[in-house]
Amino acid sequence: MREPTIQRAIKYICLIILMIFTLFPFLWLINTTFKTNEAMFASIPTWWIEDITFEHYTWAFSGKGIELFGLLKNSIIVCFITALTTALVASVSGYGLARYVVPGMSFIVALLVLGQMIQGPLIMIPWYKFASAFSLLDSKTALVLIYNTMTIPVGVWIMSGFFKVIPKELEEAAYIDGASKLRTLFGVMLPMAIPGLVAISLYSFILGWNDYQYSLILTSTLDSKTVQVGIAELMGSLGSQNWGGLMASGVIAIIPIIVLFSLIQKFLIEGLTAGGIKG
Amino acid sequence: MVKTFLRKYGFGYALLAPVVIYLVAFQFYPLFETIRISFYDYSLISGNKMTFAGLDNYERLFNSDRNFWTIMFNSVIWVFGSTILQFMLAVPAALILSQKLRARGLWRGLMMVPWVSPVIIVGLIWKWIYDGHNGLLNHYLTDINLISENIIWLGDEFWVWPALLLTSAWKGFPYITLMLMAGLTGISKDMTEAAHIDGANAWKRFLHITIPLLKPIIYVTGIITIIATWTKFEMIWALTNGGPGFTTSILPTYVYTNAFVYFDFGYGSAVATLSMLFVLIFALIYAKMFGKDNG
Repeated sequence: MREPTIQRAIKYICLIILMIFTLFPFLWLINTTFKTNEAMFASIPTWWIEDITFEHYTWAFSGKGIELFGLLKNSIIVCFITALTTALVASVSGYGLARYVVPGMSFIVALLVLGQMIQGPLIMIPWYKFASAFSLLDSKTALVLIYNTMTIPVGVWIMSGFFKVIPKELEEAAYIDGASKLRTLFGVMLPMAIPGLVAISLYSFILGWNDYQYSLILTSTLDSKTVQVGIAELMGSLGSQNWGGLMASGVIAIIPIIVLFSLIQKFLIEGLTAGGIKG
Repeated sequence: MVKTFLRKYGFGYALLAPVVIYLVAFQFYPLFETIRISFYDYSLISGNKMTFAGLDNYERLFNSDRNFWTIMFNSVIWVFGSTILQFMLAVPAALILSQKLRARGLWRGLMMVPWVSPVIIVGLIWKWIYDGHNGLLNHYLTDINLISENIIWLGDEFWVWPALLLTSAWKGFPYITLMLMAGLTGISKDMTEAAHIDGANAWKRFLHITIPLLKPIIYVTGIITIIATWTKFEMIWALTNGGPGFTTSILPTYVYTNAFVYFDFGYGSAVATLSMLFVLIFALIYAKMFGKDNG
């Protein structure tokens, strides 16, 4: 049955409206960064750019506002280690959750679900206290530890979903061949779940990269401060004086996320929807 | 006895141990610590030692804090306003993106971009759009003659709320859309087609077939959204810092203000504890109201 043309037209018009609504703020952001200051503060804002300028990007990298390179380096290191540790815990415990029914399982599941709620302001004050007691204030270690509280619960959850769909026969065959349980996990199961593992790692990286609240309370200098806090501080100190430089820094800080997301989009969507529906 | 138990379940526990230990050490223990500190007089500024204070912090919060009721009221508006608005955007978005479309995967991916973007950058973008002098929003609203004078969106006690809720809904709706789309693929074509033949129009089909079948997903996603909106203070902090004054302060931002602006950890912990109680109550009321037939 062919769709009538009118119906098709309406469908695509709705799609265009949705896409404009979703994307115009980003387009406006990018548009602004290539405008000269005069054009940016013109009495009537336009999308058309008379003369394209790269001055805002040069300013962003110049270190006049924030040490963008240093901040980016911190973010990359912290998020990379967070991704690795989360992947490790998620593959081991996710496998346990998927395959081993132990007494007290519903309690463990409850911990996992509650763990996703116990975030941010609810645990901030003790975390600051611990970090200061262990001399971890303003260290990358503290950030990695706290970022894992965001990423491990969801990581384990999604990973167990990926393990569940692997046929049980594969494990049984491995046991018959004499493989130990650990060998079965790392030699047989994990290679099968690589797409899931990659998705979790990159998702953890994204979550860490986007964090603002934890880095805000736990870091203070270039030793560990992340790019988000840097930009927020710039926003606070500059106010509306240098929108161009601020927005150019914003574009630079958002690009890694868009790239990573486009890589894992398919797996991530699968993992998230499967987890969500199971509740 | 123990031996057979260990042989049977030991490996399973060993696998699950890392996540359980991590959760207990770094989330549950801090949570109890928050509750404990809330009963102490513990301010970094005063320089005094941490001393037990019983319910003093709570008494101060309920009886002598002039901002308290504003903040409670704001918290309710924020959580429900944002969640409802997110659904109002997500339902049509999910219906559109579930249609047969060219390059549908691409549109679905693009729709997710606000959701994966860092909240600080999102705040930055919208601050620029809401700007009182050069903002895009004022410009467009003037163009269509809806307003005659520029509005300082984030500096106005009334307009700051619609602005804040719109941004939060814009950032959050893709997740709900994603969940609803997953639910829509599960609804059989036969059912809607049968209804179509029976003469039910699109609106009726939507109301009587699609929505009831989506209810379990709406229920679960709603609770996830409420909690996610509640436990993060970042969006408000990025856009308004809780201001002007305390107009957009909610319990979570008030935790931050007290603990890390005034460095009163005891009082901040009391606000945090209350905040936790409230998210539990919200979740329970929600479950009672909508969870009856979804188990």
